[in-house]
Amino acid sequence: MTSKRDIIIGIDLGTTNSLVAWSGPAGPEVIDDGDGPMLPSVVAYADAGGVERIGAPARAHAIENPTNTVYSIKRLIGQSFDDLAEELGRLPYPVERRSGEDGRDMPVVRIGAKRITPQEVSAVILGELRERASRHFGETVNRAVITVPAYFDDAQRQATRDAGAIAGLEVVRIINEPTAAALAYGLDRNKHATVAVYDLGGGTFDVTILRLSGEVFEVLSTAGDTHLGGDDFDRTIMDLAAREIAEQFKLRIESPATQQALRTFAENVKIALSNQDSAALEIDLGEGRTYQRELTVAEFEALIAPYVERTLASCRTALRDARLQPADIDQVVMVGGSTRVPAVRRRVGELFGRAPYTALDPDQVVALGAAIQASVLAGERRDLLLLDVTPLSLGIETMGGAMGKLIMKNTKMPCQATETFTTFQDGQTAVKINVLQGERELARDCRSLGVFNLTGIPPMPAGMPKVDVTFLIDQNGILNVSAKEQRSGAVAAIQIVPAHGLTPDEVKRMTAESIAHAADDMQAHRLIDLRNQVAFDTNKAEQMLERFGEQIDDALRDRIAGELTALRTFADETTDNDELARRLKTFDELTVPLAEAGISSGLREPAQPQGRR
Amino acid sequence: MNDTKPDTVPEKCINCSAELTSPVVCSGCHTLYPLPQSVDYFGLLGLPRAYDLDESALEKRFLSVSRHIHPDYFGSASGEMQQLSVRLSAELNQAVKVLRQPVLRAGYLLELCGGPGPASDRTVPPEVLGETMMLREEIEEAQADEDHPALQRLRKTVEEKRAVLVERIAELARRLPNAAAEDKTALRHTLNAVKYYDNMLELLWEA
Repeated sequence: MTSKRDIIIGIDLGTTNSLVAWSGPAGPEVIDDGDGPMLPSVVAYADAGGVERIGAPARAHAIENPTNTVYSIKRLIGQSFDDLAEELGRLPYPVERRSGEDGRDMPVVRIGAKRITPQEVSAVILGELRERASRHFGETVNRAVITVPAYFDDAQRQATRDAGAIAGLEVVRIINEPTAAALAYGLDRNKHATVAVYDLGGGTFDVTILRLSGEVFEVLSTAGDTHLGGDDFDRTIMDLAAREIAEQFKLRIESPATQQALRTFAENVKIALSNQDSAALEIDLGEGRTYQRELTVAEFEALIAPYVERTLASCRTALRDARLQPADIDQVVMVGGSTRVPAVRRRVGELFGRAPYTALDPDQVVALGAAIQASVLAGERRDLLLLDVTPLSLGIETMGGAMGKLIMKNTKMPCQATETFTTFQDGQTAVKINVLQGERELARDCRSLGVFNLTGIPPMPAGMPKVDVTFLIDQNGILNVSAKEQRSGAVAAIQIVPAHGLTPDEVKRMTAESIAHAADDMQAHRLIDLRNQVAFDTNKAEQMLERFGEQIDDALRDRIAGELTALRTFADETTDNDELARRLKTFDELTVPLAEAGISSGLREPAQPQGRR
Repeated sequence: MNDTKPDTVPEKCINCSAELTSPVVCSGCHTLYPLPQSVDYFGLLGLPRAYDLDESALEKRFLSVSRHIHPDYFGSASGEMQQLSVRLSAELNQAVKVLRQPVLRAGYLLELCGGPGPASDRTVPPEVLGETMMLREEIEEAQADEDHPALQRLRKTVEEKRAVLVERIAELARRLPNAAAEDKTALRHTLNAVKYYDNMLELLWEA
């Protein structure tokens, strides 16, 4: 047995739902604290910017609170504002470009006067999962393995790691989702096979081809799309309904609340169509107008076909990069909630010429795999060996704006490349290097990870300094850069300006703030609870006064009536939790004779809902 | 940066005094050592420095060394050991990538033996240039016409021609390290030529 101090949890931080798992003596298991294993990846904020609800309660109130309810944040994390142009028009919550003095470009969510980064939103979800695990073990959990889509680039991975740090977690490893799924899949079987993992989640798609040989999991290739998932299927239904409503009723669905309602509705229709041949669309538009139609599976499949085709194109790329034909794949493992759509299963089956394997719980398998990897990192087991690849080529911008590749996609991680740089002017002591990720030929079509400022080069005539810059991609798929001047051995400094990320100082500040906020949030939470209790108790007293008021002494009756109004007013105005709690207690004591009168009159109140906490 | 490479291989583990069977890791206590300058990819994998190699031994050695040095096993180790495991794993992965592929392996061995590198001698045999130019034209034509049978035929032709070159490469690479200077040059030129066929196969993969 290991001590609980060493526990490393495995977290699947999903677009739609998130889970936390750990490896216990009986194998990996998802931690469920009574609300089900899945935590909806939804955070509702108060107007002042504080966190109000997390998970299922946040999702349940999304329609009433559309502009303050943040979901699908995974689609925004580590992205530039410009990357998201298409995405943003479809989100009911406002997202703006973060105004930065240093040329960085990232989206932020606007809540009231506050600007909240995607990293901070993700940190709230991670923090809740951490809490859930800490409650499960009865002590604080500090370390985690977090999964990301295999096709996430360096910026998205870094941002995810930063989100973990803000949530107070040491992220010991970032692991690819399909690879995690393969761990959970392959461990049971311990066989030799070539497997394709097809992972279609809420907002991301990956396909990974692996060779399993006993306890060795060797990834051969991976491909995917970080902006493709079940969300897009929902949108096709939303867009259809919006278009037909516009045609039939000359109505445009614009309000965030209606959009949010339509989104929930579309999701339910999609789920229904996995089990039945058609589903009814019916939307009450007010003023006696109702939009109504029947959506058949065939129509739905036609709507989503372009998206399914895009996933198949990625499958072909992955096969090609692994130098394999579809017939070489022994098993196609389906992962992610969106693989429940029958058309997806059918098309994938057609491509690989075999029925896909759907026996795994597509929602849980990634978290379970993360927990298995966590047990390796905790030193609990040494039998497994996981060899993964980098999903994207890494390079630098060369003269003329071309992308000069240094590390090719699908290279085993960790991997490194060294490139020698020199100066163009006498005495030049600094060189700027634009580091890129992507497959396109031109730098402007690739993703810039940031400009690396190489400084501290000894002053020499132009072309004399030879600075070796080493680009090292670690096992997490995260880039580390170091530099050294050949002749002098001087270590040149590398400053990284992340194009779409946070600086270490910002992460530190946000971590401190999130801890402070957690305390604030708890206070705010207690105040809400107390106010609810005051409302409940005063309403009840009011009813009792009406019915049994004559049975108590006049002076007491007047006093209760007076205190009742005073307490209500005080509860609305105060932010002093302790004083409010004290006055509530006094009031409750004061009303005891009234309650007793009610009981003695033999007219017991019908059982009250349990409002007390 | 602490990546200066030592010149020699330690004989015994400084931590547990066990004899070292790998230049980079003690198989007993998993203490890691920086890769010495004198150790090449063959040495890192415990294989003889020669073009012909036992492929199954290569795979076995790769997994056994990985099992000792992969960063996942250093999750709770010191920061220095963690960093070293990342760098050593990167070297190991590169070594295996090169040794697994006959063409890369021959090129690597050629440079180890003092032969010309791809940057210093870019010559391609003139007959190859002529031939690949004609093949490329045929490929472009077949692609424009979407003539799949022709593309498949072309792929087969290119694969066969490439195989002939790889055979020639093997023959020359087996003469290393003591090959005559003209053999080394011929090997360089043949290696350069293979690239042209690889590029064509990229175009023809889905034919």
